[in-house]
Amino acid sequence: MDSRVRVNPAGTPESQTTEGGSNGLSLYVHIPFCETKCHYCDFNTYAGIEALIPGYLSALETEIRFWGRGLSRPKVSTVFFGGGTPSYVPIEGIEAICAAIFEAFDVDDGAEVTLESNPGDYSRHDLTRYIGAGINRLSIGVQSLDDGLLKSLSRRHDAETAIGAYQSARQAGFENINLDLMFGLSGQTIEQWRDSVACVIALRPEHLSLYALTLEPGTPLDAMVKSGEVADPDPDLAADMYLYAESALGDAGFDHYEISNWSLPDRESRHNLAYWLNAPYLGVGPGAHSYLPNRRFAALRSPRRYVDLFGGVLPEGDPVEALSSLRILESVEPVTATMELADTMMMGMRLSRGIRTDEFLARFGTDISDVFGPLIDELSGMGLLVSDEVGIRLSDSGHLLGNEVFERFVTASAEANLPGNY
Amino acid sequence: MDLSHIRNFCIIAHIDHGKSTLADRLMQATGAVSDRELTAQHLDSMDLERERGITIKAQAVRLGYTGADKSEYQLNLIDTPGHVDFTYEVSRSLAASDGALLVVDATQGIQAQTLANVYLAMEYDLPIIPVVNKIDLPAAEPERVASEMASVFGFSDDEFVFVSAKTGEGVVEILEAIVDRVSPPKGDPDAPLRALIFDSKYDSYKGVIAYVRAVDGRLDRTGPIRLMATGATAEALEIGYFGPAMTSEESLETGEVGYVATGLKDVAACRVGDTVTIGGPSNADPLPGYEPMKPMVYTGLYPADGESFPELRDALDKLRLNDPALSFEPESSAALGFGFRCGFLGLLHMDVTQERLEREYDLTLIATAPSVGYKVMLTNGGEVEVDNPSAMPPVQEIDKIHEPWVDLSIVAPSRHIGAVMELVTSRRGEYTRMEYLQSVDSNREDSSSSAAADARVLLEYKMPMAELLVDFHSQLKSRSQGYASMDYSICESRPGDMVKLDVLVNYTPVDALSMMLHRDNAQGQGRELVSKLKKLIPRQMFEVPIQSAIGSRVVARETVKAMRKNVLAKCYGGDVTRKRKLLEKQAKGKKRMKKIGSVDVPQEAFMAVLSLERD
Repeated sequence: MDSRVRVNPAGTPESQTTEGGSNGLSLYVHIPFCETKCHYCDFNTYAGIEALIPGYLSALETEIRFWGRGLSRPKVSTVFFGGGTPSYVPIEGIEAICAAIFEAFDVDDGAEVTLESNPGDYSRHDLTRYIGAGINRLSIGVQSLDDGLLKSLSRRHDAETAIGAYQSARQAGFENINLDLMFGLSGQTIEQWRDSVACVIALRPEHLSLYALTLEPGTPLDAMVKSGEVADPDPDLAADMYLYAESALGDAGFDHYEISNWSLPDRESRHNLAYWLNAPYLGVGPGAHSYLPNRRFAALRSPRRYVDLFGGVLPEGDPVEALSSLRILESVEPVTATMELADTMMMGMRLSRGIRTDEFLARFGTDISDVFGPLIDELSGMGLLVSDEVGIRLSDSGHLLGNEVFERFVTASAEANLPGNY
Repeated sequence: MDLSHIRNFCIIAHIDHGKSTLADRLMQATGAVSDRELTAQHLDSMDLERERGITIKAQAVRLGYTGADKSEYQLNLIDTPGHVDFTYEVSRSLAASDGALLVVDATQGIQAQTLANVYLAMEYDLPIIPVVNKIDLPAAEPERVASEMASVFGFSDDEFVFVSAKTGEGVVEILEAIVDRVSPPKGDPDAPLRALIFDSKYDSYKGVIAYVRAVDGRLDRTGPIRLMATGATAEALEIGYFGPAMTSEESLETGEVGYVATGLKDVAACRVGDTVTIGGPSNADPLPGYEPMKPMVYTGLYPADGESFPELRDALDKLRLNDPALSFEPESSAALGFGFRCGFLGLLHMDVTQERLEREYDLTLIATAPSVGYKVMLTNGGEVEVDNPSAMPPVQEIDKIHEPWVDLSIVAPSRHIGAVMELVTSRRGEYTRMEYLQSVDSNREDSSSSAAADARVLLEYKMPMAELLVDFHSQLKSRSQGYASMDYSICESRPGDMVKLDVLVNYTPVDALSMMLHRDNAQGQGRELVSKLKKLIPRQMFEVPIQSAIGSRVVARETVKAMRKNVLAKCYGGDVTRKRKLLEKQAKGKKRMKKIGSVDVPQEAFMAVLSLERD
């Protein structure tokens, strides 16, 4: 375990432990617009509904203010603009949303405020205005630094544009930048991957997300693979690529702190850590998910309906109940103790810090070994898990087989006996 | 009725040659069913029979007919099961008859099974009325087919009746031929009762209903009845005939055909071929020809989900009520869990049973490789019958293995002789003889090569029965473009160089995949099995060797590489619930798999491997 990882465990809503000062909500802001939709993408995002953008931004503002009131201007430690492509909407819109957030929520001084962006959008914007709006972290969807692969991914930028975008973000003053890359792509060779990894190392961003291509059911790419039009990605080659990146990034001083994420010291994505630590978060926008004490819920997916419904009168009272009554929120799911346990394990085991014994005890009121003792022994015996007095975490070889471990913990959680107050 | 006015007859025909349609016509022509009631093919009451065009259960219908001589006749049509697996039932139906209609399709001619059944009828000395059916079809060649029948069986020209069961043409001629040529029953009305059971069925109110022909004496309800072979006694709850609906009567007189409801709860007590007599002491001898039914083909049937064992048991119990030939006993497999070892009369019997279990009882089954019964001579001088490869004694204890052989007859156009020969030879068959069913030169003006190629040939072989079990019939059909037909009967038991082929997954033997094979086929089959399994077993977290072996000798090996990557690339706030459910689903999927040692093997792997076809 790497001692450089000093995250702020957000803990449970009831027992918020503070290690680094921030212990507020994480706020996710969804921007469901893209210039074109990538064929592997199954996110709730749309191309060709640009006419909706102005109305959407004002509905979003309404929702932000609604939650600010409903939750009595709660503390917020991280904000994340995701999508979709947040950089695709006019910068004035982002400025207005940011202003609404700072007004409606008690945003920490040192809050991490991230915006996802597409390299192709950079030339249109004065990036300093993002900084002026309060955004202090940029995530750039580079995906690949091979033009052929970018084309086959139906991305609209080339490698040069991506590098240029990174440099202009630096020039504008961003000191915390993430680059997204994909591997395990159809037709991608290990050599191409090595080149891309070498190139991003040379750029030295603070953070890197390297995602294995996943065939999501219902996407055009999934259909293309099923029909044989595109070769099925080779999982062994993807494993080789992953291991190569792990070693190269380690040598370059990056900390592999989550299955698909690397960062320079102290530059982990604090927003995403909140998810992995199973801490509360609020999502705004259509299809956005939230986790507030004892319940998870998600908003309706249609941007158009979303705009319509937020244009109407919003009831007072408990905000979750109010939005449910309008059918803005769908699937409000009570989180039982065993579900919280399953989620905590499934998400937490993704981190290289794993699950800490003391945090587990504080959260669930019992020792992790009392709940999962035999399973931990079994998985350790299989070489998938490392267990010591600090906690449990995936072994190096367990990284690539995480699902085998998560699955066991999820199953065992459903049958776990937790102490009284749970 | 007066014996001289009774005619008991059966119909012999190959599948699809029109037996059921003709039976319907006869019922219609004699007024047994009205035109309105006549649903096509009245006699085949099971859907499956109708679909497959075969008769599994025999039936018996009484027809009242006023002959050309103005006399009233009682014609009893005794249906015969139309398939090779049910030869014994056919023989009992023949034994209950005094004559037979031989129905041959005018577009097809004699088929292998026709020959077998005609020879059987000849053994019983029955008068045979040759009927050429389907003369309405454009492709019909009634003259050619008649001459083929004449040359094979020695009929004379004036014996033939040409009919179209579809249009009704020739049906009256058939009825007249039955009156004229089928002998009236011979029997002694004053002798003690002896009635031959030629079929039975189970009725939930009346118990087992025996289909009988009163050979001697009178069957009535004055006292209990006794079944001579099984020793069961019963009340004659109801006596009557099928008209075709069950019609009760006071008695069945000598020579008459009908039914008796026994109230018995178990069809096994009321076996086809047994003799019904009066209860209490009797000096009557049983009628000849009774044979207890003996399964010839065995397979293990397992519920695919591993959980429907009780449902499978109930379904088998219910099927057996009407199918005494079906035998089964519980067995368990390390790989497949709890199931039943089932015995069948033959392959069709097995197929039909399995299909009925799946269709009528909504079960999904895994069937292990079918096996014949082997006689195993042990080195210690003992002898055991083994119908399950996994019950085979260890190699070192086996002295010799005997396997059943069949007399196989195949009828095919002569141009397919080569293909048939090749198939049979590849299955260890031995040539016995060949006969042209029709002299090419005498029946055709041009003895051209195409006529010679069309001439139909009877090929006879001896072949190990085990070789029939995997895919033989479909191979025969495909290699002869559908023209060949086959029939077989068990003839003898011979020593064979048989070996047990085991499949090992991660060094653990998979009992459900063991099979008995001739040594010469074992290696090829072993290789095919492991390469198929390799594709079907998902990658595990460790390398999984798959081997096939004879005893301790490995004949083929493949390896399923260890899984290297199974992890969700992304898991963020929007994914938690969905991904948790995904992982739960993954876990459930594994739970449904069968564990072989520490390896998870999906059901589909067993299904696919066990449906292995041979080239």
